[in-house]
Amino acid sequence: MSRYRGVKDIPEEEYVAPGSALCAGCGAEIIARHMLKVLGRDTIMVNVPGCYAISTLFPYTAVKVPYVFAVFGSGAAVAQGIRDGLDILREKRGVNNDRVNYKVVVYVGDGAAYDIGFQSTSAAIHRNLDFYFVCYDNEAYGNTGFQLSGATPYASMTSTSPPLGDSVGNEYGKKDIFEIWRAHRAPYVATISVSHVTDMLNKFEKAKEFRGPKLFVALSICPTGWGASQEDTVRIARLAVETGMWPLKEAVYGEVKHTFIPRRLKPVEEYLKTQRRFRHLFKPVRRDEEISRIQREVEEYWRRVWEKELNR
Amino acid sequence: MYRFRFHGRGGQGIKTASRIFSTAAFLEGFYAQDFPMYGPERRGAPVAAYVRVSHEPIVIRGYINKPDVVVVGDETLLYDPVADPLRGFGGGVLFVNTPLNPNLSVDGEVVTLDLTGLALEHIGRSGAISAGVGAVACKIAGFSESSMVDAVVRELEEIGLPDELIEKNVVVAKESYRGVPSFDLDSLPSLSESDFLETDIVHVRLDEGEVGIATIANLGNSAVRKTGNWRILKPIVDYSKCTGCKICFAYCPDVSIHMGEDGKAHIDYDHCKGCLICSSVCPFKAITMVREVKVM
Ligand code: SF4
Ligand code: SF4
Ligand code: SF4
Repeated sequence: MSRYRGVKDIPEEEYVAPGSALCAGCGAEIIARHMLKVLGRDTIMVNVPGCYAISTLFPYTAVKVPYVFAVFGSGAAVAQGIRDGLDILREKRGVNNDRVNYKVVVYVGDGAAYDIGFQSTSAAIHRNLDFYFVCYDNEAYGNTGFQLSGATPYASMTSTSPPLGDSVGNEYGKKDIFEIWRAHRAPYVATISVSHVTDMLNKFEKAKEFRGPKLFVALSICPTGWGASQEDTVRIARLAVETGMWPLKEAVYGEVKHTFIPRRLKPVEEYLKTQRRFRHLFKPVRRDEEISRIQREVEEYWRRVWEKELNR
Repeated sequence: MYRFRFHGRGGQGIKTASRIFSTAAFLEGFYAQDFPMYGPERRGAPVAAYVRVSHEPIVIRGYINKPDVVVVGDETLLYDPVADPLRGFGGGVLFVNTPLNPNLSVDGEVVTLDLTGLALEHIGRSGAISAGVGAVACKIAGFSESSMVDAVVRELEEIGLPDELIEKNVVVAKESYRGVPSFDLDSLPSLSESDFLETDIVHVRLDEGEVGIATIANLGNSAVRKTGNWRILKPIVDYSKCTGCKICFAYCPDVSIHMGEDGKAHIDYDHCKGCLICSSVCPFKAITMVREVKVM
């Protein structure tokens, strides 16, 4: 049975302090808070360049657990170094205290998960490194002015995919990092969303049962880059789930199960319209073809899920 | 050479203000160099921009650590430890955008004007102070009004503002220009010989590994940074409606809500950035908002 049944069960302890330099309303902060609430005090966080890195601007840090800042492509490699160091202390030097059992979590943006850090992450999963890898996916390089990344969805405007003339914005689709990780046969892979806190807490809790790589990708609303209202962060994340655009699921040793299955999908438009990055799909003229392409892909996805998991 | 340093908050138009000033300097026949500080911080966080103006070609590069003139676009920044606008300042001119009449004990001339009030009156948006800030700097430096107006129009056209908004900005710029005195910068005692402070030079000792590594021992010390002054709107809990359901607590990104012993939500105004997520998620509509009034 799930340990957390509602927001009432959210642990009180905070391992993140206020006063960070991240934008007001940033989703990456909500995810970090809950992640550390479950993983707890005995956790070492590895961060690389990206928005969350500005939680720590020398000489200030908002993170209350040990924290290491690594170069962009090397989050998972640094995690390996930390894990190995602790394991050597325990196994070869006979040290036995709380510290040698610290969990190691790499907390990075989509740039470092899908693109620049992909190689080191893939290699660490391949070596079955016992660590958590959590990507706060804001679907572009938000830290440097919102440039296109491998996580940017089809038709999104970014500063390097402007919808000029006939252009639709980003003409490529989003990489399916969940499936890419799953193909590595990691023990635990999950998607989470800022809006579904209980689901998120339970997944972090469940991941603790496994030894080896535990991989998470979180839809992380970015009001600044997405051109959305700060107060709408949670509403937009919820719409992403309810329109079916961001499925909530997990895979245990490759076996996929959805943790939230919408019976009916809200139209994707409801989600797209909340963000300036998709505005060109509606103004000055409505681009039905592109909108229905997005709708169709979502429906095809869910038809397969409904068949498989609901026998419908 | 005159060194001007501009301070403001991301999104306020401080970079544009510094560009207006340097373009006006250029039109006045000076050499000019301007650049913003691309720090890692976000909308609402402190930002700075630097302008050097000289009759001779400018060869020096880098931040201005000993400014002759400091222009502060937001009074709440004056004592902000991160922005630190008075750093390296002494003997020159300090301008502060404020409706208050602060009694500042600084070494130098102090000039104030309520640019935000002017912007509200003529443009209707509190954040739109770039033209006013640029105009004030022009006046302090003794540039002509026509060069100033020319520079405002050029820079605002470049960022794509529609004509009617540019006109309104010109009105604000002229009023701002006329609202402050001019200075003979050459007669000020401050004019810096060098752009660097001794304390800016960090000697890294390479023989001891640990010395070269930046380490923070006090985890969670960001709490000393009062991000509460980022707010434009302020959330207020109506305790007759709050049921203590914890939903706002769950979603506050900035750990600025805690559940009190009375079982209800309490907001930490020292740190709340004013995103208003709490207000939008509260199922009982117990969180309303008011306009923030800033005090120094
Ligand atoms: S740019 Fe986006 S992801 Fe980065 S801090 Fe701002 S809101 Fe968060
Ligand atoms: S969400 Fe509303 S009712 Fe619930 S604790 Fe917060 S203020 Fe009170
Ligand atoms: S406005 Fe935002 S930062 Fe302030 S208490 Fe509400 S959720 Fe937290």
